[in-house]
Amino acid sequence: MIATIAVQHVQSLRRQRVVVALVGTLLAMTAMAGLIGWSSHNTIVRVYDQAVRLLAADGKPAPPNPFLLKPSLSLLSNMAIYIPLIGALLALVLGHLTMADDESSGIGRLLFSRRLSRTSYVLGKLAGASAVLAVGLAVSLIASVASLWLVNETLPTGSELGRLVGFYGLSWLYLLLFALIGMVMVLVTRRRSLALLAAMGVWLVMTFALPQFTSGLRPTASLNPITDPASTTQPFFDVTAKARPFSLSEQYKTASAHVLGTATGESGTETARRVVPLAVSVAGLGLLTTWLVRRHDYSRGSSDD
Amino acid sequence: MRGPAIELRGVRHSYDAGEEVLHGIDLTIEPGEIFGFLGHNGAGKTTAMNILTTLLEPSAGHAEVCGFDVVAARHEVTGCIGYLPADVRLYGHMTAAENLQFFGKLSGVANTRRAVVETLDYLDAADLADRKLSSFSSGMRQRIGIAQAILHRPEVLFLDEPTAGLDPLGVRQLRSTILRLNQDLGMTVFMNTHLLSEVAKVCTTIGVLNHGDLIYKDSIEATIRRFPDEASLEDIYVRMEATPA
Repeated sequence: MIATIAVQHVQSLRRQRVVVALVGTLLAMTAMAGLIGWSSHNTIVRVYDQAVRLLAADGKPAPPNPFLLKPSLSLLSNMAIYIPLIGALLALVLGHLTMADDESSGIGRLLFSRRLSRTSYVLGKLAGASAVLAVGLAVSLIASVASLWLVNETLPTGSELGRLVGFYGLSWLYLLLFALIGMVMVLVTRRRSLALLAAMGVWLVMTFALPQFTSGLRPTASLNPITDPASTTQPFFDVTAKARPFSLSEQYKTASAHVLGTATGESGTETARRVVPLAVSVAGLGLLTTWLVRRHDYSRGSSDD
Repeated sequence: MRGPAIELRGVRHSYDAGEEVLHGIDLTIEPGEIFGFLGHNGAGKTTAMNILTTLLEPSAGHAEVCGFDVVAARHEVTGCIGYLPADVRLYGHMTAAENLQFFGKLSGVANTRRAVVETLDYLDAADLADRKLSSFSSGMRQRIGIAQAILHRPEVLFLDEPTAGLDPLGVRQLRSTILRLNQDLGMTVFMNTHLLSEVAKVCTTIGVLNHGDLIYKDSIEATIRRFPDEASLEDIYVRMEATPA
């Protein structure tokens, strides 16, 4: 039953072109990250070459090429920003459609008048949505490898590939969190439009408000991973620093930077510890979704669809 | 089937708001009957059907379908019923055959492909198999809705306002389908409806629900005998609604 629901859900999302939109957007994001990386790489190398020539004309020694000091995966560091900004929104919509379509079309009434348990239904829907996210991210991973190959003129090493797989695995977990938020909002509200608005409200808080608050109100906190909490002795900032583990977007961005090797100064255990709140939240929301579906009244449809 | 096809004993139901919509319904429907459940809007017909199709649990009382308790033996009940809710849309972006195969798998049909072909043939709807439901008229969609409900050859078929939105030809087709399902396959049919002319032509028994109370239940013949002064079932129904028996 779980497989039947999952396969049908994937097929349904494919027919509604949700899969194409998701894969296309992730692909565009990857291409954009690669293009920006390639562009800045070229500009800096050209400036460096000019500087080397000028220094050589003056008989001065040239400093080392800055790109030799940077990890090659830094080319894709923008992906850790695009995923929370754009990928999470797509995941919200995916989660919303996962629950809302059966509810508003009245199909829920048909499904649960069959030999289908509500737990199997949720697990099937989750498996379908997770698979769609995984496919999108897998295509993005392939595009990442291709752009690294184009810019660096060499394929990523085994270790770099491992880091990339780790980053995309972490991104999958992060996007799954937002898909679950989209699902939960459908189950706790009776109107489709309100469910989507509420889910976007949560996205706004998690992506912008919490990072700003927990990073001591640094203006760039919502975009860039900040490794060190704001150092201050003021009580207010003590509170914000303590709340930092709960800022899942920041934990994701910082952990991503460490997984990709573009940030240093943290052990693997410390990075893994950053992922724990995210994993716990996904598990918690998964259980909440199951509980909500089990007690949901599918004999009535939602309105304003 | 053990005993009656459908049995309700003292079934009550209240929604979250607290207002009771069913006030202790007692009803027995024997196998092979075509039962027309009549009542005004909001009388509680759909709530009763939701309880019988396991979508809702009764607040009190006891309901059985095919001899199985709708709460304690939900799995067995869902295995022996077919259900067509009102206004169901199915998956518009999928073809009729894909929709039916999906619902066939959920109903535990062993060879869904063959069952779909046979069912569509039976309903003279084989030409609809490979077309997407989004392009269907109400009548076509209703035929596919019936197909999904009978794909697994249920013992009891529940139809909620099945003629809503159908043109006269569609209504006639549906009537003939219900009679064939009852006569060929021996299905017991439980039908919520407003269309009294259809009830007179199709049903063997009627029940009237008024504000959550079952005020009448008897065979069509007995009903007509009981109200000799009324010209039609519609007149009888209006009289019952006005003066509960």
